[in-house]
Amino acid sequence: MSALEIENIRKTYGAIETLKGIDISLDSGEFLVLLGSSGCGKSTLLNIIAGLAEASGGDVRIAGRSVLGVHPKDRDIAMVFQSYALYPNLSVRRNIGFGLEMRKVPVVEREKAVLETATLLQIENLLDRKPGQLSGGQRQRVAIGRALVRKPQVFLFDEPLSNLDAKLRMEMRTELKRLHQMLGTTIVYVTHDQIEAMTLATRIAVMRNGRIEQLGTPEDVYDHPATLYVAGFVGSPPMNVLNGVVTGEGLRLDGSGQVVALPARFKAVTVGQRVKIGVRPEALRLAGDGAEQKSLDVEIEVVELTGPELVVTGRASGQRVTACLPPRTKLAVGATQAFAFDEDVLHLFDAETELALG
Amino acid sequence: MERKSFLSSLFIHACALLLAAVVLAPLVWLFVMSISPAADLTEKPLRWWPQAIDFSRYGVLLSRVENSAGAAFLASLVNSIVVAGMATIAALTLAIPAAWAVSRTPAIGWSLSMVIATYMLPPVALAVPLYFGLSHLGLLNNVFGLALVYLTILAPFTTWLMKSGFDAIPREIEAAAMMDGAGLFATLRIITLPLAAPVVATSALFAFLLAWDEFFYALLFTSDLRAKTLTVAIADLAGGRVSDYGLIATAGVLAALPPVAIGLVMQRALISGLTSGGVKG
Repeated sequence: MSALEIENIRKTYGAIETLKGIDISLDSGEFLVLLGSSGCGKSTLLNIIAGLAEASGGDVRIAGRSVLGVHPKDRDIAMVFQSYALYPNLSVRRNIGFGLEMRKVPVVEREKAVLETATLLQIENLLDRKPGQLSGGQRQRVAIGRALVRKPQVFLFDEPLSNLDAKLRMEMRTELKRLHQMLGTTIVYVTHDQIEAMTLATRIAVMRNGRIEQLGTPEDVYDHPATLYVAGFVGSPPMNVLNGVVTGEGLRLDGSGQVVALPARFKAVTVGQRVKIGVRPEALRLAGDGAEQKSLDVEIEVVELTGPELVVTGRASGQRVTACLPPRTKLAVGATQAFAFDEDVLHLFDAETELALG
Repeated sequence: MERKSFLSSLFIHACALLLAAVVLAPLVWLFVMSISPAADLTEKPLRWWPQAIDFSRYGVLLSRVENSAGAAFLASLVNSIVVAGMATIAALTLAIPAAWAVSRTPAIGWSLSMVIATYMLPPVALAVPLYFGLSHLGLLNNVFGLALVYLTILAPFTTWLMKSGFDAIPREIEAAAMMDGAGLFATLRIITLPLAAPVVATSALFAFLLAWDEFFYALLFTSDLRAKTLTVAIADLAGGRVSDYGLIATAGVLAALPPVAIGLVMQRALISGLTSGGVKG
């Protein structure tokens, strides 16, 4: 039985449709990340699951039971808010135990559960403080603890790490992953950060304009993006996208007319079809002396050393191309350099529909 | 400004002293008047500091001899405390749920605007209808009647003031409480009200002061010691053929004490910043 089923969920505000029919089915223990830029409807969807917003149509089932019209407290869910939403006037101990207190769990049992959760999150020494006396990372742990202590069916996270600084965010990310592996809980997690999505998720739903663009494992979303939007959203630096057209000899880039060989697996394309050619920056390498079939001539403009890699920006037939190379690579700015790539890393999208081809 | 020049800090202190003088001068003069002999107060040119200090008027006003000026004053003092206290408590009781509802339901915000609009009417426009209404209910010259009238003034004001206070409390905190299983009443009692304590205290203080200082309705709707409030009693002191300005000043000093006491008690609650730490920032 699925832990969470979302069936054709729609949400309209007046004439504006923010969710246009969302279908997701989540097994117990899955970590689903709703990924998208702001305004794509991911937070609205989370609020509908939580019961903080009403769906205009469709159904949400938690453990097989429809929860539409069910009060949030009776949905067997817990939520971690972006702003933490701790109770500032209560101690950490009461913050974590509040859900149990409201559910009339006996004091002894409640104390035990709070202490267990606090130990798990390594905040057992902060139990008597008020939220105002905690750092951002500690507050985040308290907010997570408040959700964990109730052992609900589904956990909801609304951009929980976006208020932390970069270093702390990485730490908490690992921490969340560790908790998920240890406890095997079912999680729905909203973020706009594709690295969080890639690292945490067992499945990612990339959302755009109230629709799911692609639902799949992180590897799937990264290696086989279903649309041009997904290709550009996941990955940093983003995938290079070059405009071109299918000809008899291969793919001819707009601009200078450089031709790239067309891999054999794209059987569905027709000569004369306008396409967008996608290659990830990390899939490019300097072309060796040997005769490599798939290569791209790039006029190098900027070379940036980030430490672990060298980010090279240049133009191929007037179109911008970025490549991530090993840090010791020697390159001359202004020179034209051939970049090679394997044929299975080439992505093709229809220029009209922006859907993946082949 | 880490480093201030001597001149600029002198200037700032001078300004602060001037402000304090402007604010405090009438109060000081009120007190000086209350302890000056009557002759000093009518002398020309005016004597700023009394020749002899005379506390006798305090004795007069606080005396409990029947039918004396003191008995009338004390009765009106009690009436004022009762009327202002009742009106304030009733106003808060109504305004807390009303303000919370309006703050959390923007769609009904117009209703508060309409109530505030009635608040803009001058009191004199309502005096006659209120008089007939109170007379019909048999509540003229009655502390309950006057408190009821004050409630109509205080409730919109405190609702409006507290709405802005509730607005400042993040709704996510209440959403979290709701998911944790707290009902409306528990959320209000355990989470929202403690966070709103500063604004509730401010509202209570202002409501009490508003009722304490009210004169117009009190003059119209009360006629004797059963309901007459301090403001009317002080006006009575000035209404005779011979006015003792010192006595009026003494009544003024005594009338100022209860609100000052309440203000001091509330000071702790007035300290804001209690919401810090609940959400980001």
